[in-house]
Amino acid sequence: MTAQEIFFIILALIAVTGALLLVLLKPISHRVVSMAFAFMAISGLYFLLGAEFIGIVQIMVYVGAITILFVFGMMMTEHRTIVFERDPRLSHQAIGLISSVSLLGLLIFGILSMDLPQTEGYVGSAEAIGLELYGYFFVAFIGSAFLLTAALIGAIVVARKEAD
Amino acid sequence: MTVPISYFLVLAAVLFCIGLYGVLTRRHLVIVLASIELMLNSVNINLVAFSAIGPYADITGQVFSLFVITVAAAEAAVGLAILIALYRNRDSIDVIKHDLLGTDKEKSVSTLQ
Repeated sequence: MTAQEIFFIILALIAVTGALLLVLLKPISHRVVSMAFAFMAISGLYFLLGAEFIGIVQIMVYVGAITILFVFGMMMTEHRTIVFERDPRLSHQAIGLISSVSLLGLLIFGILSMDLPQTEGYVGSAEAIGLELYGYFFVAFIGSAFLLTAALIGAIVVARKEAD
Repeated sequence: MTVPISYFLVLAAVLFCIGLYGVLTRRHLVIVLASIELMLNSVNINLVAFSAIGPYADITGQVFSLFVITVAAAEAAVGLAILIALYRNRDSIDVIKHDLLGTDKEKSVSTLQ
């Protein structure tokens, strides 16, 4: 077993545990923290794959910004006394569990029956990403800039208190 | 790279299905949004894995994952803003309570007043 495999197993265990705790834990704040741990482990996987730039962007955007955004979203809403009354449609939980588990089984069956050739890794750099972004994907890059501006303005307009 | 690409694909599938289960069954709106973020992240793992050790290894997968991160950030910001506005107007964070578009018209009108 090589060092890469050991690191992959550790990071994958952290990611899957964080994701499971996000779904299963009771207090909302603990769930958000476990989500941050899962995102951190996924950025470690990017470093393992040799995609440093994406890993750093993942840490900055997900662990830095989106987790804080979720913490604020949790604080601004109800989080202390979450007592949902009993769900009258308990069968929906069972249907959700069955459908997601069967989808997982189908996906794993498809992945394991696929015959992908093993290649020696390709190491991308930030320079290559920038050249591609300002070259072939220029229009999409400008479009994502417009999307972010629209999302910023829209979030402020939607979330502010309406003036009477 | 000694880790086969199938391991990364299986890990991404597991994370995607956990996120899907969270979206389908959880009732707190913040957790539903967090599960959607988890699903987008698992897609990113697939893109970066194919970009690094796939059959046609190329930088394009990493550029695509950057775009996915951008869209996910915009979606989280707008989604949480809508959630806060919804909580202010309806005073509940429960997904099941937000069924104004449902067929049960009488009940919806009565909860509005």
